[in-house]
Amino acid sequence: MATSEIRPRRWTRAEYERLIEVGFFQPGEPIELIGGQLMVSEPQGRRHAWALAIVDHRLRAALGSGWTVRTQMPVDLDEESEPEPDLAVVPGNPEAQPVRHPARLALIVEVAESSLAGDRRDKGSLYARAGLADYWIVNLVDRCVEVYRAPVSDPAAPYGWRYASVTMLRPGETVSPLAAPGARIPIADLLP
Amino acid sequence: MTTYEIRTRRWTRAEYDRLVDLGVFQPGEPIELIGGQLMVCEAQGSSHFTTVGLVDDSLRAAFGPGWVVRAQGPLALDDESEPEPDVAVVPGCRRDYLHGHPGLPVLAVEIAESSLAFDRRDKGSLYARAGLGDYWIVNLVDGCVEVYRERAQDVTAPYGWRYASVTMLRPGETVSPLGAPGARVPVADLLP
Repeated sequence: MATSEIRPRRWTRAEYERLIEVGFFQPGEPIELIGGQLMVSEPQGRRHAWALAIVDHRLRAALGSGWTVRTQMPVDLDEESEPEPDLAVVPGNPEAQPVRHPARLALIVEVAESSLAGDRRDKGSLYARAGLADYWIVNLVDRCVEVYRAPVSDPAAPYGWRYASVTMLRPGETVSPLAAPGARIPIADLLP
Repeated sequence: MTTYEIRTRRWTRAEYDRLVDLGVFQPGEPIELIGGQLMVCEAQGSSHFTTVGLVDDSLRAAFGPGWVVRAQGPLALDDESEPEPDVAVVPGCRRDYLHGHPGLPVLAVEIAESSLAFDRRDKGSLYARAGLGDYWIVNLVDGCVEVYRERAQDVTAPYGWRYASVTMLRPGETVSPLGAPGARVPVADLLP
């Protein structure tokens, strides 16, 4: 009985990048490589885009010099994932970065409205598996910032890992990136 | 809160053929394009492969000249499908397909062991949608041949179509292909 286990084909990040290099995809095609699967994301709504611009601006202002904040750009997360998080924070100024997608990230921020469940469960598990120590969701639905830390393995999670620590922060409170403990960002600043 | 609409990217047959031309896949990687999805159909055991040969031999004898019996060759089935049925019978001679895979065969046969559920439900629906009039499953689990005919629309089927007529034939019985109605193929000849 050794016959066909039929399952979707998985892609490696190297294969995905080769397809991009040869111009395989349509320009602007909204795809990301997530855990070996090429996923199509829905067009973002105007409220998400508007909120993202504000969070981006305030995060940059709070971090100041010495950091690169990349907005909806690819990150080399693992061998089978190249997602494009809303915001990815990398140590060092932009001109100091090598010409490749960053792999070691200080912080990822997703701005979530309709994507909330997926950002919590799927993206959270994916980022935890990759060893990301600091993951925030700017939750526009409940007007709070969810801070995820301490990745732990969990066979029940979509990618086998999850965050052991989840903190919901509300306006009036502040948050500091793990990698930049001196930067105190008012939660109200992140919630337009 | 609306649901997180995220789905895997679908591939057209033209894109799939380009991926093959680009040499993206590993040599011998068992991939088929099924309804826009790239599926891995795992390597087969000795009984599966032996049965492919038995069916191939029987159908060559049954159809005779003017037909090509192709074992595990690709079919240009529809715009988003390029399956490789275990055995397919197409009109003409081998060189007719030098510059393009055949489209709709007169008969497609799958040899099913662990893939039985997929071959019945998914492949059956895919073939019915494409207009295949005669689809057989050599069922190694139950030692019978399942003959699927008379396509019918069915919104609950994976690809919107299914076969209305299903006949289970056992050793001792015979089956006549729709494309070669004069031939009587003993079911016992198709089973290992």
